[in-house]
Amino acid sequence: MTGRATLPALVAVAFTAGTAATIAVAARQLGEAQAAASRSVARMAAELWELSGGADEAARSFVDAGIAIESVPAPGSGQPANRMGPGESPSEPGAHAYRAGSLQPAVWIAVPPQPRESPLPPTATALALLGSLLMSAWALARRRAPAPPGYPTIVALTATALLGAVAATTHRWADSELEALSDRHAGHALRAVEAALDLGTDPERAARVAGLPWAASAALTRPDQLWTMPQDVGVALAAIPDPPYATPFTVAVGRTTWHAGLVTLPAQGPAAPFRALHLALLGYEETRAPTVPLAAAATAASLLTALILFLLPLSAHPPLLRRTVTAWAFLAPAALLLAIFTFGPLLFSLWISLHEWHLVDPVHPFVGLDRYRQIILDVDWWTALRNTGIFTLHVPLAMAVALGLALLTRGSRRAVRLARLALFLPSITSVVAIAVVWKWLLNDGYGPVNQLLESVGLAPVSWLTSPEVALVTLMAISVWMVVGYQMVVFQAGLAAIPRDWYDAARVDGAGAVQRFRHITLPGLRHTLFFVLVTSVIGSFQVFGLVYVMTEGGPLGATDVAVYHIYREAWEFLRFGNAAAMSWILFAVVFVATWLHFRLLEGRAVHA
Amino acid sequence: MRRGTRAMGERTWSMPNGTRAARMLPALSTAVLLGACLVMAAPFLWMAATSLMGQLEVFSSRGILPAAPLWSNYPEALTAQPFRRYFLNSLIFSVAVVAGQIVTATTAGYAFARIDFPGRQKVFMLFLATMMVPVVIVLIPRFLLIDALGWIDTYQGLISTELVSVWGIFLMRQYFRTLPRELEDAARVDGAGPFRVFLGVALPLAKPAVATLALFAFIDAWKNLLWPLLATRSMEMRVVEVGIAAFHSTYEINWPYQMAAGVVAVLPIALLFLFTQRYFVRGIQLEGIR
Repeated sequence: MTGRATLPALVAVAFTAGTAATIAVAARQLGEAQAAASRSVARMAAELWELSGGADEAARSFVDAGIAIESVPAPGSGQPANRMGPGESPSEPGAHAYRAGSLQPAVWIAVPPQPRESPLPPTATALALLGSLLMSAWALARRRAPAPPGYPTIVALTATALLGAVAATTHRWADSELEALSDRHAGHALRAVEAALDLGTDPERAARVAGLPWAASAALTRPDQLWTMPQDVGVALAAIPDPPYATPFTVAVGRTTWHAGLVTLPAQGPAAPFRALHLALLGYEETRAPTVPLAAAATAASLLTALILFLLPLSAHPPLLRRTVTAWAFLAPAALLLAIFTFGPLLFSLWISLHEWHLVDPVHPFVGLDRYRQIILDVDWWTALRNTGIFTLHVPLAMAVALGLALLTRGSRRAVRLARLALFLPSITSVVAIAVVWKWLLNDGYGPVNQLLESVGLAPVSWLTSPEVALVTLMAISVWMVVGYQMVVFQAGLAAIPRDWYDAARVDGAGAVQRFRHITLPGLRHTLFFVLVTSVIGSFQVFGLVYVMTEGGPLGATDVAVYHIYREAWEFLRFGNAAAMSWILFAVVFVATWLHFRLLEGRAVHA
Repeated sequence: MRRGTRAMGERTWSMPNGTRAARMLPALSTAVLLGACLVMAAPFLWMAATSLMGQLEVFSSRGILPAAPLWSNYPEALTAQPFRRYFLNSLIFSVAVVAGQIVTATTAGYAFARIDFPGRQKVFMLFLATMMVPVVIVLIPRFLLIDALGWIDTYQGLISTELVSVWGIFLMRQYFRTLPRELEDAARVDGAGPFRVFLGVALPLAKPAVATLALFAFIDAWKNLLWPLLATRSMEMRVVEVGIAAFHSTYEINWPYQMAAGVVAVLPIALLFLFTQRYFVRGIQLEGIR
């Protein structure tokens, strides 16, 4: 079998391909960002140039800023005015250019392709090469001698660490390249706007053409209304003591960097006393480093490497290898869907819980454990958790009733079968329909239950509108909902206890109570445990009843954990808080389940 | 494990005839059962009765039954909102989820039950552990994912997250383990590959468990409120559960209309259960007894 040598070679190839793909993805994304930036500068310059009527001073400023301007021969008289079209500059191939056609003679405004400091990330490339060499050397060594045990693990860890380092350094490289690009872009924009303003172009139009974020007309023409931009950007701008003139500078707001510049307005009109204008120029976030595709490429490469490494130790045993591949082929549909829709989201939710995350805000600054500290101090959340805990107390009650019913009815099979529909219906039908019915039955004023109470001379009860009663009402309805199902589970468990045990106990003179304690309960041990654990887990997640019947009220008396999280996320759109609360709920469920196993079962029940 | 497949109550519990108490037990148990049934069924009967009352009659009537059944409540309530569309959506959603879960659960369950591969126990425990995870924890990431794909308010967005049930995988594993291996071995000797053995031999034998799985998956999908609430926006994409909840908040005080809608929502599941209850019991036995 050649598996011993081919699999290490595959690992080497996979690693090389993975790192190459990671670097290529980043380089490609960066190239696209650069092209887009050059295009937009060229377009903006062309429009500003047209606005300024093609004056020489503007041309000088543009050329200073690295924007090429070429005259083209005067077009014929039939040439449509104000025609702008993208294309390559006639004399400078590769440059992104716009043709300003309304000027006579028409000109091409071109921004040459901006050189990168290095075409590939140097550190990442070196790391990738080193890793590929290591893997290849290892593959060659494996051909000669069998490796010591534990070797694949070391290689797997090395490969993953190297891939991570390659991805991280690539990301940093792309980040700094983009920052330099943004700086240049901002410089062009600033010069172009200044040139246009110097020539008396309407500032409002100039700002609109330049696509300056938040440089609304008010900000440009009336400096006293300068801060129409987001407040934190304004504050950051104002905090700069002595901003440089004519060169763009950056302000950091959260984790986003904004490019800004000061433009001098000609002294005229009502704005004369205010000559300096602040402009928040290009949002850096628009050309963010290619994090998502990079992470996807690195993850895919790591997974592939890990998969091959996982198969590696098996290659010595072909039947085992075959079985493993077959098993994973069978598992693939379920495993893939679980990875995408359960395991992945679990990690993602943990990440969200550590960041500021609002549905409409694209910036997610890190907040870390502060979030959890705040939630732990949040009284409303504790109320919700306490309500959930109290609600869960309905489980043992329901189990007691269900067990009693199961014991009483285990003699009469036919009756049970007939009764099953009525007993089961509450646990299988629409929770919403059930909740609506109960809301009607328990209505304060005219609900049938209160009418019944009154007709026998009792005082009506505020089932759902009194803070003291509402949660208990929901618990009672829950008992009603689950008891039929639990009864059938218990009947199944009872049927599995051998008859002989009871006969033997009876011969020994054991009474009904003793038989129950020493035979029925131990015999039902697993069933009881199973029902308890699953019901408690389910009860921690109650939602539908609360959503329809009480909406958490009155006064938060029925605000349970899942409903609280639901509102936090989908009403207040605070995803970060909701994610952190979900994790706390998960921790509670986990500890509760673990305690059950620890205290009641002593060992795992799974077969 | 064998006993898991046995039909419910195969053993008849003949009570000893010795004592008077023992002789009374069947009568007592029947009485208790009748009482329990009444308590369990009362809300449904009340719902049906109220659904036939006039809108004002419900506030004044002291009796339980309507003075004169007002059948027109049904067509009026069901056309007040597009319930036909809600039912169609629920049906599409539930059937797709059933199909998906059958594929994922039978294949994975078979692998866990029959194929001995390294790490089997660990992977199985990892799968089982997800049953402990509150669904609410993955809702936000799932929503963001579906949103990023542009699948909000579409069937694929509604369905794709629900296609695996770990409970179903567990059920199928338990069932496959109760099947005799001999038939599969015979097919293997005849030269059938693992997939042919699975499709040709194991899967046909597992039909009863598949039926149970399908039934539970259908009902769980039909009852699912939280995910459809988040994954759909327009009225045209609502499922019955969301529709009834929305109907409830729109027609807050028109109880007969709401009860009529409730009856219509409960009826399909009740009928389904009536004709398939033995599969339910089998599922309960398979999950409850290990």
